Amino acid sequence: MATTEKSADTTGMQAMSPTEPGAQTMTLSVGPQHSGSGHMRLIVELDGDIIISAMPDPGYVHRGIEKIIELRNIIRSIPVIERPSIIDASNLNHAWVKAIEELQGVEPPSRGQYLRCLINEMNRIMSHLYWLSIYGVFLGHTTMFMWPLGDRELFIDLAESLTGARITYSYLVPGGVRRDLPKGFAEETIKRTKYFEKRLDEYENIFFKNPLFTSRAKGIGVLTRERAVALGSTGPTLRGSGIDRDLRKDEPYAAYGELDFKVHTRPDGDSYSRAMVHMDEMRESSQLIRQILEKLPSGPVRRKAPIVVPRGEAYARVESARGECSFYLIGEGGDKPYRARYITGSYRNLTAIPEVLKGVRLADMPTSWWSIDYWPVEADR
Amino acid sequence: MSLTHEREDVLVKTLKENFPSDIKEATVVRRSRINVVVPPEKITNIAVFLRDKLGYDHPSGVSAVDYNRESRFEIVYHLATIKTRDQQDIVINLKESVPRNSPRAVSLVNVWPGVENYERESMEMFGIQFDGHPRPEKLFLNDNWEGPPPMRKEVRFPTD
Repeated sequence: MATTEKSADTTGMQAMSPTEPGAQTMTLSVGPQHSGSGHMRLIVELDGDIIISAMPDPGYVHRGIEKIIELRNIIRSIPVIERPSIIDASNLNHAWVKAIEELQGVEPPSRGQYLRCLINEMNRIMSHLYWLSIYGVFLGHTTMFMWPLGDRELFIDLAESLTGARITYSYLVPGGVRRDLPKGFAEETIKRTKYFEKRLDEYENIFFKNPLFTSRAKGIGVLTRERAVALGSTGPTLRGSGIDRDLRKDEPYAAYGELDFKVHTRPDGDSYSRAMVHMDEMRESSQLIRQILEKLPSGPVRRKAPIVVPRGEAYARVESARGECSFYLIGEGGDKPYRARYITGSYRNLTAIPEVLKGVRLADMPTSWWSIDYWPVEADR
Repeated sequence: MSLTHEREDVLVKTLKENFPSDIKEATVVRRSRINVVVPPEKITNIAVFLRDKLGYDHPSGVSAVDYNRESRFEIVYHLATIKTRDQQDIVINLKESVPRNSPRAVSLVNVWPGVENYERESMEMFGIQFDGHPRPEKLFLNDNWEGPPPMRKEVRFPTD
């Protein structure tokens, strides 16, 4: 297999390519199309097949959610807030209830906090699996499209038995969570996570060590450490550039301060690094789920909280599957917020797209772009 | 977790000492959250100081808030740090107010490149002008959008 040759050749071409648009270049409009995650358009400037600039044109799935939140009470807003990323619903839901609880001064009971972590980690796995399956499509690897979507059902079934819904749960409410564990949930979950970790080994063998993937990911689409910081990148994109930041550790919330887990980073900032961070995080989250079930304290899962946003402001943030999700909430004492600013991981990583795609071959564009795990609906909100 | 806010207090004190007349207000809101209110004409200097001297190199977002009863927009820069490890949890909200009838502010893209899209969103959604912004174009709205800036308080939904 001529893997190394191919990588070296690509690097050489990048070094020779001009960096300024000119008479010899071509502008290509990619999209707006639905790439498995919502409509999105990129305006790409090409010299031959080398991308010299790529500007994202978001907004095709903008719903005005910040405005909608201002007009509804805080409980009715929960399903709306989950919509931008239905595959990662509980993490977005968590940022919202955390902001409300900060203003209300309500602290959920310990068991409720653990159950929040449980659904969050299940969601992180489900979200990363969905990401991986689309990555498989972009690389023309049909097995990697089918397997993660199939294995995602393991967790979807569990989430359904816990919350009553397959993907958008509205499980977290101010003061705790809606339901306690159903009978037999812990045993079934432990069994499934162990099976899932064996499947991850198979993923690694069939895909992550496969030259089909590595030759199109290693050294391609580089986001340097310095640029990742300056552009405000977050989540796996930031950790893929070698920066050891994760809000679950940096500003421990819910029960994360009592749990033992590792933050995974990769040093190179290329597509490969970002992809491997996703892979490592799935394994970590799977182990974390078992740990949560072992340490789960007894007691109530919910405390009464009023349907009121007290006067004042709060800035709450959580680590969602795609990075930091934050709410800047301003209350006036009514049941609706005066203003709720909603910033998601994908919105923050939008600035990384032009950086990552610069100098990449057009054929490598889908894989480089998707390694950021940019979810258009989550960015547009 | 300690109940005192020592690290936050040190940051507030440093800011007040370095900009005694420019900072209108610097307060610890709660643990890990600091609000700093500055006049719009001084914001660039203070932003550069935050980035270079206090390590606030990681922009986390920009919010605009329409205080229509007070005839002003508030622009809030949410800032975090990668450089200073022991302040990893402390977020500084850097705030400035611009009048509602002529909303103009200075763009901070030169200080934090990552705020580019948030400022663009504040332009289209609130009608605030950011001087010196490299791409003062629509971000989410259509280029041919002719209505008022939709996030302003006077814009209501038909169902509301």
